[in-house]
Amino acid sequence: MPTMPRRAVLAGTAALLAGPRALHAQAIKPKVTVISQWSSGSDGAAITALGKRFESEGGIWEHNPVPGFTTDMMNKLRAQIIAGDPPAASQLKGPEIAVWSKIAPVVDLDPLVQAAGYEAVVPAELVSLSKPYGHWIALPIQAYRINTLFVSRKAADRVGMTKLPATWTEFNAVAEKMKAAGIIPLANGGLKWDDGMKWEIALCGISPDAYRKAIMQLDDAALKGPESLEAFRQLRKFADWSDPGAAGQHYSTFLPRYMKGELGMLLMGGWAQGVFKHAGFQLSDYMVGPAPQDDGKIAFDLNSDEFIFWQKKEKQFQEGQALLAKIVMAKDFGPMYCQITGAIPVRTDTNMADPGFSDGQREAAGAMTEAKASNRIVLSLAHNMAQPNQITAAMLDVLTEYVHNSSTSPEEGQKRLAMAVDNVR
Amino acid sequence: MTGRERWSRILPHLVIWPPILVSCAYALVFSAWTIWVSFTRSTLLPDYRWSGFRNYTSMLATRNWQIASTNLLIYGTCFVVLTMVMGLLLAVLIDQCVRAENLFRAVFLYPMAVSFVVTGTVWGWLLNPSIGIQKLVHDLGWAGFRFDWVIDRNKAIYCVVIAGVWQASGFAMALFLAGLRSVEADLLKAAQIDGAGAWRLYRRVVFPSMGPIFIAVMVMLLQFAIKTYDLVVALTGGGPGLATTVPTIVVYDFMFQRGELGRGSAAAVMLLASLAVVLVPYALYRRWRARREAAHA
Repeated sequence: MPTMPRRAVLAGTAALLAGPRALHAQAIKPKVTVISQWSSGSDGAAITALGKRFESEGGIWEHNPVPGFTTDMMNKLRAQIIAGDPPAASQLKGPEIAVWSKIAPVVDLDPLVQAAGYEAVVPAELVSLSKPYGHWIALPIQAYRINTLFVSRKAADRVGMTKLPATWTEFNAVAEKMKAAGIIPLANGGLKWDDGMKWEIALCGISPDAYRKAIMQLDDAALKGPESLEAFRQLRKFADWSDPGAAGQHYSTFLPRYMKGELGMLLMGGWAQGVFKHAGFQLSDYMVGPAPQDDGKIAFDLNSDEFIFWQKKEKQFQEGQALLAKIVMAKDFGPMYCQITGAIPVRTDTNMADPGFSDGQREAAGAMTEAKASNRIVLSLAHNMAQPNQITAAMLDVLTEYVHNSSTSPEEGQKRLAMAVDNVR
Repeated sequence: MTGRERWSRILPHLVIWPPILVSCAYALVFSAWTIWVSFTRSTLLPDYRWSGFRNYTSMLATRNWQIASTNLLIYGTCFVVLTMVMGLLLAVLIDQCVRAENLFRAVFLYPMAVSFVVTGTVWGWLLNPSIGIQKLVHDLGWAGFRFDWVIDRNKAIYCVVIAGVWQASGFAMALFLAGLRSVEADLLKAAQIDGAGAWRLYRRVVFPSMGPIFIAVMVMLLQFAIKTYDLVVALTGGGPGLATTVPTIVVYDFMFQRGELGRGSAAAVMLLASLAVVLVPYALYRRWRARREAAHA
């Protein structure tokens, strides 16, 4: 057997081992590891598109979605932070940004934000959520309006409805007409956040000021006040008008029947547009507009997602974070991302006349600008924007129990809500 | 060869001790840590500042825990009793020298092989009034038939019982069958010669001699019941509102979803205490029995 000279073998192995490292030292591609809850559907498609954009700018994109609701993603994030290996960027939202930024070091984005002149074009509520302690630590990606009403066109035709109800009284009248015609008036699901969302839409429609005091400031008098009681009464009506089999179901299970006209109206956030589009439904299948507002003026219940950047020592990740920040703050990010998800771009200077946006999105973006001017933007409760998780979960428990227990009176429900808030305050 | 002798003496220790030590460390150390955290002010991350019994009192005051412990009582009792009755019935029937006994045993034991998540999901579809049994019976013609327990907040827990009993009956049946077969044949023959009918035979001879097996099955089923999590989550997701929430769900919810480690740990410790209430008397009973048998022998 011919033997290779030992020296040659040693030299060859050494070169083999050194080779990759030598190549590595020459080209540090910006890399980013991202975790989010967007694993499928229109959200998954949008973040995949962001990944492709990142890679086209020369970066390495690694996205590990955690399917489920936001809390599942936050669990994984916490596990990674405790293990000392946080992702370069993760989805986070609302007051959780302030709370979580205390448990692990985050990147100070002030220089990048100032260079892009970003702060001037973002609504004030989002700025204050992204700068909880005076420095930019998160970047908003998209905004949604929660208090949106979708009406199945087939159901509307059956009851002769041509325009959306403007107040809760009109809404209730239309719902009664639908019920008489054999249509189930409300197509919402029966999950915890859905039940909480219906109550907050009712309260926002009754009085955004009461909403601000009760939900965002947890003012006891407002929680026990007449507007809150009225919202509970409206919530009882919603519960009676829902499909009896709705308990525990996601609203998307009712979509086929909703589009066929067996269910009439859906009170959901703007992302439902993205869900409808992804499921193959056209704009002509439904009507969309703001949920009823009793005083006739626009109010905007805000939900938004943000990316928070965790400090990493490796240069690769730091470059990746800078690149991701640049992409997210750019003017063309809004159209690219939001046309897939159905959201509203964060930058108020985005050209909404772009044909990729639907009329519903344009209307919602216009509503956000108008509400911003009249200071009637409120933060969503059920979607973890107004309060941290502990308080939100306690309130949602009371609301979901109220919806599924028809023997609880609105007064009792209101009392329980105030008690639950006191317990966790 | 002393080397080999020494090695063959050390080897069993090497094989047995590391796993035992690791398992003990896993069980004891983490339990101790959880008990410690339940007395601290931990929320999102562990925070080792003492907070006394505040977590326990606040957990006991939440509706989640109150509903969960009531559900555990209802579910535990119904599940154990019904499973034992079903299991015993199936075992007695199979014991009647049926022809395809192996086949029947396999068929009834099969549900145990299905995961709780699958059981919960499929039973959730079956029990849903719009797509399951109620709809089937409506389509067959009985328009007035109602079986919508799963959306009724007072009856939803019984749906969980149904799914749980379906899954665990086979397991109880297998154990009872072994117990039935282990009765001494002489005893049976003597009773038959004395003229005892089948029912008398079972009641007076077979079941009493199976006493220890009843207790063992009851203990195993009780701890199945206490550990139930995935079945409830898959079947009702915690029920209409909070109606079918169980202590394990409350622990998971508070610890991981709400970032309230302290209160979640307190709930976990209370769950461990309820398990101890079941297992400690059983351990004492076994010691008492062993002592009694030693005294008799």
